[in-house]
Amino acid sequence: MKFKIVTRNLSPYAYIAPAMAVFAVFLFFPFFKTIYLSVFKTNKMGQAKLFVGAGNYSELLGSASFFNSLLVTAVFVLIVVSVSMLLGLTTAVLCHQSFPGIRIFSTAYALPMAIASSSAAMIFKIMLHPSIGIVNKLLSLHINWISDPKYALVCVALLTAWLNSGINFLYFSAGLSNIDDIIYERASVDGADAFQKFFRLTLPGLSPILFYTLVVNIIQSFQSFGQVKVLTMGGPGESTNLIVYSIYRDAFFNYRFGSAAAQSVILFMIIMVLTLCMFRLEKKGVDY
Amino acid sequence: MKKRAVSFCMAAFMAVGMLSGCSSQTGAGNTTAESAAAPSTTASITADASGNQQKTAITFWHSMGGVNGEAIDALVEKFNKENTSGITVEAQYQGSYDDAINKLKSAQIGNMGADLVQIYDIGTRFMIDSGWVVPMQQLIDADKWDISQVEPNIAAYYTVNKTLYSMPFNSSTPILYYNKDLFKKAGITEVPDSLPGIERIGDDLLNKGGAGEVISLGIYGWFFEQFTCKQQANYADNGNGRDGAATAVDFDKNGAGVKTLTAWKELSDKGYAPNVGRGGDAGLADFSSGKSAMTLGSTASLKQILNDVNGKFEVGTAYFPKVSDDDKGGVSIGGGSLWALNNNDAARQKAVWEFVKFLVSPESQAYWNSQTGYFPITTAAHEEPVFKDNIAKYPQFQTAIDQLHDSTPQSAGALLSVFPEARQTVETEIENMINNNGTPEDAVSKMAERINKSIADYNLLNK
Repeated sequence: MKFKIVTRNLSPYAYIAPAMAVFAVFLFFPFFKTIYLSVFKTNKMGQAKLFVGAGNYSELLGSASFFNSLLVTAVFVLIVVSVSMLLGLTTAVLCHQSFPGIRIFSTAYALPMAIASSSAAMIFKIMLHPSIGIVNKLLSLHINWISDPKYALVCVALLTAWLNSGINFLYFSAGLSNIDDIIYERASVDGADAFQKFFRLTLPGLSPILFYTLVVNIIQSFQSFGQVKVLTMGGPGESTNLIVYSIYRDAFFNYRFGSAAAQSVILFMIIMVLTLCMFRLEKKGVDY
Repeated sequence: MKKRAVSFCMAAFMAVGMLSGCSSQTGAGNTTAESAAAPSTTASITADASGNQQKTAITFWHSMGGVNGEAIDALVEKFNKENTSGITVEAQYQGSYDDAINKLKSAQIGNMGADLVQIYDIGTRFMIDSGWVVPMQQLIDADKWDISQVEPNIAAYYTVNKTLYSMPFNSSTPILYYNKDLFKKAGITEVPDSLPGIERIGDDLLNKGGAGEVISLGIYGWFFEQFTCKQQANYADNGNGRDGAATAVDFDKNGAGVKTLTAWKELSDKGYAPNVGRGGDAGLADFSSGKSAMTLGSTASLKQILNDVNGKFEVGTAYFPKVSDDDKGGVSIGGGSLWALNNNDAARQKAVWEFVKFLVSPESQAYWNSQTGYFPITTAAHEEPVFKDNIAKYPQFQTAIDQLHDSTPQSAGALLSVFPEARQTVETEIENMINNNGTPEDAVSKMAERINKSIADYNLLNK
């Protein structure tokens, strides 16, 4: 009898143990190791060597290069999220009707999802080349797209936005098909025009999925890495030195794991605050 | 309240996912290193099993992709077929030079590197300090191999405290490539040998010659280092980091940095050297397409340039330009060398040495040179028919050899533990100077400040 109670009390823990084990190995351990490393300076083997307490953090907060990274990342995320969501939404709305050839369009709009960021970046690198690239040829311009700090960040951001728009298209298409057609018919009977229908019916109907894609998009664009590595290597100057790229450089190029870990922790806090804000926003703007 | 707690948890969780996204890259990096190293272990086990034949398997990491990679594979295959000591070499391509040294660092943390690695010039100080290597000199002395076969100006780079640490293998120097047709059209007979010289003929090339650009000058840290050598100035203190570990850069104090950047900026301000991007290859496309009249590049790019130009115009080569007309220094070599790693296994060490000997033999070096455009590192290779044919076919290559012989061991260039990072810093600051119209003095002091800090950190943590 007593044995039964004990097993009943323990069984839930047994069920979650495998999942917890996976999380512990791949999430919690790296997480705490990162925090641990962030208070040390590491030697060339990446071993924690010298305890510096908040030294890495204060060094970062006093470094112009780090603030530049934050600023660049903010601009980048803003461009990527707004453009990719707008692109996804527009294409999804356009494809939400049936006409011959619709499948070709839907495939084309969803395709970026299937392209790896680094290979896309390779192709863009050739397309944007100042003297042999097709972009300058078509526009008959002589702009050095990725070596000019005015354009480099925008180029990388637009590439990322395009890459992310595929999955957004898919989400929005799914969201649109969930909205009941009957309400549109009723609105037509009441004399609503297309704009009214879009802003009064479609957008509110999409709001849960909009919220979800917003959160995912923000996190995803913070994590963009391959494009920067291939296209600009953080340059010219430091104009595309996104924070994730800067972490990579510090850790695996300069072998300063301490500083890289400290940047990761700061990035973690930024994303956590952002996500908290968004969940607050959810209560106001999202109708389920 | 409960809902807030839930949303807090979710937020935290998503953010943790973000963090672990970064750390999972660490994991991925390690696994590639692991899987790359795995064949070597299995190979040595099989070797032990059939040990009666004294078979030895060694792993060779290199960074030669494309045409150069094929040439390496051909050499390795030849060695595996022809050697009589039962040695099998497995060549593994490890990505760019940067990738290779970074993978080696990760692999050595887990103690599972290769037996022989190809490392770039600027990794030399790091490798010497690492304590992972067997100095090549030790293997040379044990075999009583005649070291004077190696070109002295090349050996000088890898010799520290009279010890040759690694065997030069693919060595190159930078040269000036120019478009002979454009020069003829502009009526220029004398090829410029200095940056001010380039400036003087700039207008002629643009107006009379019809060039789109005077020089497509990639923003490359290596060029900055070479300009320092040309001025016979040191890049770092402690005898360019050769008498002992450098403690600070020297180019800010001896004025070489400012001089280089002033001349560079002059070219850029006058529109002669537009910003073509970063890296050693950045200027090549403009040159090969016939847009720019000149470019700076490694001798190792000669083959590719000739292929890309494909007879559209005649390609000429000249010495790497001086910074001011009265500079007397030479160039230092770049490229890679072979490092024997200490695996505490005498048989494998011997196998490594046999393989290295094969790679630097005149025959292999002549073949290597003809396939890639790197120097033959042994003078005896000049007598090989393969080499003679090659130089008859590509007379442009003679410039590179003359330039090397005109240089002196004193121009060997600096050794710096944090050189890869320093080079990046130099490139960033040059880029900033050109794009944001900064002053050369400002750029140099920023470079010095950042590099000195890295050096100080490195010296403090890696005693």
